Amino acid sequence: MSARVIITEGPLPPQPPQPPQGGAEAADSSTGAVGVVGVVGAVLVFDGIVRRNEDGKPLEALDYTAYEPMAQNQIGAICDELIASLGLTSIVVEHSRGRVPVGACSFRLTITSPHRKEALRACDEFIDRLKQDVPIWKEPVWA
Amino acid sequence: MRVTVKLFGPERQAAGADSVGVDVNDGATCADVRTKLGEAHAGLGESHTRFAVNQSFVTDDHVLSAGDEVALIGLVSGG
Repeated sequence: MSARVIITEGPLPPQPPQPPQGGAEAADSSTGAVGVVGVVGAVLVFDGIVRRNEDGKPLEALDYTAYEPMAQNQIGAICDELIASLGLTSIVVEHSRGRVPVGACSFRLTITSPHRKEALRACDEFIDRLKQDVPIWKEPVWA
Repeated sequence: MRVTVKLFGPERQAAGADSVGVDVNDGATCADVRTKLGEAHAGLGESHTRFAVNQSFVTDDHVLSAGDEVALIGLVSGG
């Protein structure tokens, strides 16, 4: 059971991570998502993409800032709670800082679990908590 | 005791600064800091904001110590 938090400059790479493969235990090389083969039955990847409109106004990009050490701690604590309460195998959270243009990915959540229901529920709960308790802010850059 | 409060997002924009320093008595609480912030900068004393001390959320009755890392956290908007 593991949680990993990665905050990186600019947009996240577009490739979704691959599910764990091979061996008794495998780690995805791009995200570090760890799963025990034969135990993991669901790999859920959620990408948050910057839309072209915000409140009906055309957007060029979003600028993200974070109170980074606290954001890392808060995300880690939320992941640990969800892993314990829902029996997940792993969570990897990637979030951008700095400028992310329209159409690019600013947030990626990768969850592995034995069953899909827990992964889907964890995705929803994590994003709700992110938008409430994690000190990250976005500012619009208007077109 | 001098307390430097880190600011982010809308609160940083409101103050036009990354941080604001306020003077409070020894044994002061975050509520005391909130009052001082509101006096110094309109918009910084609002009740929807939360304090973080040493990178954990606390309630306004939290008693501060010298050297604490204090941040004012308003509405967040990650994701």
